[in-house]
Order: sequence, then C-alpha cells, then structure tokens
Amino acid sequence: MIYGRIEFRANPFHYDLQFDSRITLVRGDSATGKTYLYQLLEDVKQLEEYRDIRLLNYKSDDFHGTLKSYRDKFIVIDNADILLENEDRRFINFESSNQYLLFLRNCDGLNVSAESFTVLEERRYDVSLRKELVGA
Amino acid sequence: MVYLYTEKQENENWILKNDVYFNLHTGNQPFTEQDKEAIFQIDKARVTQDAHIETKYGIGTVRNLSTGCKTYLNVLKNPGKVVGANECGGNVLTLLFALDDIRLYMNRPERFDIKEDVRIMINDRDLVVGKRGYELWWSSEYERRAKDDLWEN
Repeated sequence: MIYGRIEFRANPFHYDLQFDSRITLVRGDSATGKTYLYQLLEDVKQLEEYRDIRLLNYKSDDFHGTLKSYRDKFIVIDNADILLENEDRRFINFESSNQYLLFLRNCDGLNVSAESFTVLEERRYDVSLRKELVGA
Repeated sequence: MVYLYTEKQENENWILKNDVYFNLHTGNQPFTEQDKEAIFQIDKARVTQDAHIETKYGIGTVRNLSTGCKTYLNVLKNPGKVVGANECGGNVLTLLFALDDIRLYMNRPERFDIKEDVRIMINDRDLVVGKRGYELWWSSEYERRAKDDLWEN
C-alpha cells in the first residue's frame, strides 16, 4: 500500500480517507462529491507527504499509456467507467506496485474484494469513505 | 417509453462523454425552470441569474455540476440522442427512467428504483416492463455473455 490513509482539510471540509485494499472503488449516488474530491487531490498531491499521488481523468493526454507508465504510485482515476478498457483493468490487477482509487461503478474484470467497495460520506463537513458492502 | 441500448456505438447521435458534451454544448444553452429544478434535485445547486451555481462546495459555474447531473441535462436537452448513463448513480437513473421517450446507453445493470409501469425497449428488440422486467433481462444477458465469453467494457 502506498497510503493507508489520506487526511487533509479543505475548509469547511475535513477529509479522512482510509484504505484497506490496494484497489478502492468509490461508487454511490451521483453528486456525492467524487469529482470535487478529485479536484482537491490535484492540490493535495503538491504536499510533500502525498507526492506519490497521480491523477487521471477524461482530460488526461494519452490516458492508457500514462497509466501503464506508473510504478509505486497512488493512482486516482475519475470518469473511470468511460476510460478503462480491458487492458487497463489487467494492468491494474497485475501491476501490484501501484495503489488505486477509482471513481468507478463497473468492477468487471478487476480483482477486488469486499473491502474495495466504498461510498463517499459527509457528516457535518467530515468526509470519509464508508464501506459499501458490510459483512460481505 | 425508455429506449435502452447495451451495445456501444460511436456516431454523432450518441453522447458518450457527458462532461465534454455538456461543457461544449448543453451547458451553453439557457436553462429552463425544469432544468433548474433538476439541478437542485440532483446536485442541491441553485442556478443564479448570471448562470453561476451555488452549492455547499462554494460558487462555481455549470461546468462544476456533477457528471450525473450533466448526463440528466444532456438527455433532457438533446431529444433523439442516445446518451451514455454508465457514470450515473441510482439517484439520477431513477429520475431518467421516469422520463418518456428518451434513449440511453448502459452496458451493465445498476440497482435503482424503476416504477412498475415503465416500459423499456432494449436494443430495439426486447420490451420489458418495470424494475422486475429490467432485472430479469439483465440476468439473462449476463448468462448469455458468460456462455459466449463476451465480456465488454
């Protein structure tokens, strides 16, 4: 694991994101703040302690080639449902030096566990990743 | 009737990159009261008179709306086009499947509420009704894909 936890404050919000799987999927309803989190991480990765974060979305140049070039990185992918192809999913499965935070609904072809499925939850400006599958 | 397509096509009548299409086209059109109500219902965002939005995350532009909200507006404001709904959460899908005469692309099922009387024409071939019809169709489709080893993204 590159990061077991990413914690930061972006007023008025406090983010405390804990990861128990090499591949974390963030799903849930629309408008729960997934893309907003992605945008915050663009700034958070400028901090020394989070320098291994890499971000990819629909605006990324050469998405597939860039993804495959990463090693030992914490890779965040927004819009993953329209970006990930079968070959990308295989890379994510087998390039185990990377950790992934995927804003993705379709987990077909990914080696995920019950720990992988999360939804963003905000309570009184505290934002965390809640496990989607409880007791699975 | 909801027209649902499960096999991807890429042509000018299909909108697959909802953020891009919204930012370049749909978002530049004037918003009706119906649009504004949808924006508030989905994103809890208020559209101001100068076409900005106010949300709990702050003040922004319509480009800052969620992908699900942009998808809903792409459907609403582009009748006749097939719009990709794979990035939508259950809250938006429930709203979409309450609309009439719309065309959606989804290559996998999602759990969400569909009213019992909603008629869904799948791939211009199979007519199903309501949530039960939708789920039964996807069950048989997954069996077919597994049998034929036809997994797609």
